[in-house]
Amino acid sequence: MNKEILKSTFLFILLLLAQVLICNHIAIFNVAVPIIFIYFIIRLPIDVGKGLLFTLAFLMGFCVDMFSDTPGVNSLASTLLAALKRPVYYAYVQRDDKTMTLLPSISTLGVATYCKYLLSMVGIYCLLAFTIEYFNFADVKDIVILSASSCLLTFIMLLAIDCLIINKS
Amino acid sequence: MRNLINFLIKYGTWFIFMFYVLISCVLLFSHNLYQQSVYLTSANIVASSVNSTSSQVTGYFHLRGINESLQESNAMLENEVLNLRHQLAECQTLLSDTLKSNIFLNRFDYIPATVINNSVRHPRNYFSINRGSADGVKVGMGVVDQNGVVGMVNVAGLHTARVISLLNQTQRFSVKLKGTNYIGSLSWKGADPSIAYMEEVPRHAKFHAGDTVVTSGYSTTFPGDIPVGIVMNRIKGSDDNFFILKVRLNSDFRALSTVRVIKDEYKAELDSLQQYDIKSDK
Repeated sequence: MNKEILKSTFLFILLLLAQVLICNHIAIFNVAVPIIFIYFIIRLPIDVGKGLLFTLAFLMGFCVDMFSDTPGVNSLASTLLAALKRPVYYAYVQRDDKTMTLLPSISTLGVATYCKYLLSMVGIYCLLAFTIEYFNFADVKDIVILSASSCLLTFIMLLAIDCLIINKS
Repeated sequence: MRNLINFLIKYGTWFIFMFYVLISCVLLFSHNLYQQSVYLTSANIVASSVNSTSSQVTGYFHLRGINESLQESNAMLENEVLNLRHQLAECQTLLSDTLKSNIFLNRFDYIPATVINNSVRHPRNYFSINRGSADGVKVGMGVVDQNGVVGMVNVAGLHTARVISLLNQTQRFSVKLKGTNYIGSLSWKGADPSIAYMEEVPRHAKFHAGDTVVTSGYSTTFPGDIPVGIVMNRIKGSDDNFFILKVRLNSDFRALSTVRVIKDEYKAELDSLQQYDIKSDK
């Protein structure tokens, strides 16, 4: 258990630093922004207590907000994403499947299901974050373009991170 | 009572959820609270030390471009010095000057600073610099780089400060067309970090594409005639009495590195005069 906590803490700090120091400065064609810190929320085991899940998600969002001067945008979006995590997960996975471990990954869910889960989560987050940040119906076109392109880029980057972790272990 | 406790236990996690959502919304919508607090911005100790460390590494990346623009501005300044020296020599032959120094030359002072964190992709962009109130930086001071205006100090920590970038939809800057008295207000509309719009230009103003847009000098934030950008073309506005000019900004906001904070020695005096006006109006 301690090892898991240590690993999670390490992942938290690593993703936070990677987001604020590298990914925040990337904007391909000035629209596609990789949002990799949500990997932490996506990869937390499904059976983690809801209270802890919300707290961690909020903390992550809050830290990113602090660094990138977007007060409340990422904290709100990641707290909402944490709340939607279980419904999204069980939309693709049978709830009574007891043989399945509760850690969402390619090896436990299979490529197709995992990709669907990952894409849904990333898509939801991008849409939430950009809607909250712009908060103006006049910018709907911008929000859709930003969300779609960022979603695609983030999805690819998160799959790449998954591959890296699998190769390591 | 038991029912209440059961209810709290059953839905406890959702109360936590609502609590976090509430905090986020407070952060999101109460701009005043946020602007007054250094701790919540990238000017706080943790964020600024992480950003300084990373900027020590990444600071080298844009050096080539910065070097080029510095050399350009250096050449321009050298030309100007030569020109002024020439004019001075001409004037001195005409009459001897009894005034020892010009007080206007000492009005503005510059504090050099380095950008340690920057963003251009949000609707409201900010950047942080490595000088704070201990170095004389105060809220409301203007910030320029070698190419022109880049922003205005918004939160001043002890050793770091957060600057509202010119690329911030909530901020407007008072500008004019160089060599004329046509004033307008410069605002950024998002998307492209090199394009801004000069609004409220009177309809009778004469301009040509390629004209320089400079600061108006009507505030204590910037001295007059600091370059901001170049007029590209005219855009039809909603108001027939004014038109909007599309302006290409001089500064490359993606590669901000060394900037100067402008300190106006007359600021306190001018501000107190304005206060006096407001009080006497009441």
